[in-house]
Amino acid sequence: MVTENTEPRLAAVVRHLFPAFAGLPLGPLLTLSLRSLAGRQPRLFDRLGEHRTACYFIDPIDLAFAFAVVPDGERSIVRVVRKNEAAASSVLIRGPILTLLSVLDGTLDGDALFFSRIISISGRTEAVLALRNTIEDAELRPADLLGLRGALARLADTGILGALSVMRQMADRNSRRKAPEA
Amino acid sequence: MTSGRMELVCPAGTPATLRAAVQAGADAVYCGFRDETNARNFPGLNFSAAELAEGVRYAHDHGSKVMVAINTFARVNDVDLWKKAADTAAECGANAIIAADIAVLDHVAKNHGPTRLHLSVQAAAATPEAIGFYASRFGVRRVVLPRVLSVQEITALNRLIDVETEAFVFGGLCVMIEGRCYLSSYATGKSPNLNGVCSPPEMVTYDDEANSTVARLSGFTIDRYEPGEPVGYPTLCKGRFTASGKTSYLFEDPVSLNAGGMIAGLKAAGVTALKIEGRQRGRGYVTEVVRAFRKAVDAVEQGGDAIEIDRILAGQSEGARQTAGAYNKKWR
Amino acid sequence: MSGIALTLGPVFFHWSPDRLSDFYRRIADEAPIDRVHVGEVVCGKRMPFSDPAWPEIIERLERAGKQVVLSTLAAPATVRERRSVEDLCTDERLVEVNDVTALPSRSGKPFVTGPFLNVYNEASAQYLIELGAQTICPPVELSLAAVGGMAGACPGAEFEVFVFGRLPLALSGRCYHARIHGLHKDSCQFTCEKDPDGLAVETLDDQPFLAVNGVQTLSNQMQAFCPAPTDLTSKGVGRIRLSPHTCDMVEVAKTYKSLLDGIEDPKGARFVLSCLDLPGSLVDGYFHGKPGRRTLTEK
Repeated sequence: MVTENTEPRLAAVVRHLFPAFAGLPLGPLLTLSLRSLAGRQPRLFDRLGEHRTACYFIDPIDLAFAFAVVPDGERSIVRVVRKNEAAASSVLIRGPILTLLSVLDGTLDGDALFFSRIISISGRTEAVLALRNTIEDAELRPADLLGLRGALARLADTGILGALSVMRQMADRNSRRKAPEA
Repeated sequence: MTSGRMELVCPAGTPATLRAAVQAGADAVYCGFRDETNARNFPGLNFSAAELAEGVRYAHDHGSKVMVAINTFARVNDVDLWKKAADTAAECGANAIIAADIAVLDHVAKNHGPTRLHLSVQAAAATPEAIGFYASRFGVRRVVLPRVLSVQEITALNRLIDVETEAFVFGGLCVMIEGRCYLSSYATGKSPNLNGVCSPPEMVTYDDEANSTVARLSGFTIDRYEPGEPVGYPTLCKGRFTASGKTSYLFEDPVSLNAGGMIAGLKAAGVTALKIEGRQRGRGYVTEVVRAFRKAVDAVEQGGDAIEIDRILAGQSEGARQTAGAYNKKWR
Repeated sequence: MSGIALTLGPVFFHWSPDRLSDFYRRIADEAPIDRVHVGEVVCGKRMPFSDPAWPEIIERLERAGKQVVLSTLAAPATVRERRSVEDLCTDERLVEVNDVTALPSRSGKPFVTGPFLNVYNEASAQYLIELGAQTICPPVELSLAAVGGMAGACPGAEFEVFVFGRLPLALSGRCYHARIHGLHKDSCQFTCEKDPDGLAVETLDDQPFLAVNGVQTLSNQMQAFCPAPTDLTSKGVGRIRLSPHTCDMVEVAKTYKSLLDGIEDPKGARFVLSCLDLPGSLVDGYFHGKPGRRTLTEK
């Protein structure tokens, strides 16, 4: 099994990526990021329409916790929650953290991932679709979510996207090793 | 009809995808407004008037055209909403309006002379008589061909008409004649003609049952998947059903259209433009597909052979099964 | 007396010439219907079988005082099919247009628009009325309110609604009867003849859902809309259409006639229909602006 030797390395990279988060409460931080994004790009959230007030339960299967997100523009809320708290949500999205991040930055196609079952979705399908189309149009960079600007933003984007790309290649190599020769 | 270079017409569900399609080499991009006036009325998709105006500017700055699909059928007592959409598209500088409803076609013909009028696939005009009707009555300049014609039939058709033809080459495939299918409203109350949606997402459920995941639409079981098996979107006509004691993909297998291998044939058949389906798809997907088809079309224009075209398009399968659809007569 | 007229729509299924002759003989002699559509609508490949039977059927119906309407193909494709549409359009009788293909040759002469022609709003209806449309039978997915909206805005035509029969939901370039039997459309062996009401299609969970008839897909369930006559007159509907099935269509026609004449109430009419040998359960959702599969009228 390849997962044994990649997982600790991935976790290390993830930890390395978000050193600033150490000791900071992730929920409030992401809430503020999302609200500040709404302040900068209000049109972005228009796309969600009535689904702005939906609660999206986002469950990265390789992390110990999940997120409950209400993407209501400047009234957005992100909470870090336990994995068993999905019941109150309108939508449940579950998948590997790297894959979820790749959907966010537009590298990977949400549809393809869903149909291949790498990401699983349940609940109100129309709310998922609205979110996915909104993310598609947003052309988000990591810095947008972190609320960074200027040189710092470029640094963050290059660093994070670069690291993501490296991790994806690693994961890809591993999965290719698994695939039969053909 | 034409001996010029074939035009590559590409989908855009959002402004970001429009820019991606233009950058990837689209000669023209088609899109719609964020309401029921277009046939991809999905949550979070499509353009506001301001976004369209910006999109048109961007496309024109980069040498591409923009076509606006106003291709559903106007609702009784609400025809003005469709007329207004056409007015807005014209004001935004769209190069063409793609329409199917006689009311919309008539309005554009009478009020927006300079804007090209294209007949949407939703009008399903497949004969010289039908196409002639739309051309002579409304000045339609191009017909998007229904996906029921073989390449031979397109060749024969092009000899009998004097408007341009546009043919789908890639993406989702309607098995039924477009614009004349009410399967979706029968099950869900919403349909392409009435609401611009087929098998609407709010009616879709994926239920985990003993050893399988069941995809249902409005309570009707459309397909059932083993654990780990790739699932599909429960589009009515791509489901598994039982008839005569046999269970099968009765209408169509869950395949998508790929007529990449027929680009040269379609050119020889006199087709002016090639269309890629997928306004509901992401910009990553659109970029990749448009880039590949750009190369393929350029190769065909330069006389490239079939092997070269196949190689260019080899990556465009997404793991899903594909068909050349009705272009190949055996499909019927 | 409501003043609402009864139409018998075209037969969608591949019935043998003998079955067609027997069917229309009974309609001519016994059914209280004033307008009868004849002709093949679904598949041009069936025409060589039925064509020889039509002249006698038409003669018989007209002798019985019925107005005969010549229905044309909903999806003509081949040269022969296109020519048949054009030929029918030259006839002095009323013609039913089921595809835009017929419009150039029929414009200026009176016609009926059938449920296969996309007439969704008052502006399209008015455009077609100016070309010669006298009766408009809009697509089956429209609600009674929508039809009423068109009728109110277009006094120049009579509006007709599809009240009885499996609902025509889709057409395709592909023949499903052939596909089910492992054949291609071009060499189909006319297996659709075995299913005179269409072949039932069920979901993987055994839910009755659709029915196939060659290139056509219908509902499994039977449209059986039984309104009070005032519900129709208030919406400006002047005509209702019954679609032929193998059940006792004379009885169906008599039931609707009684309903329109106020002799039978909607509940009673619906009960009588449910007693017949029908291929599916009764639905009427479309008229109420709901999914077509639903039943909103109480039994």
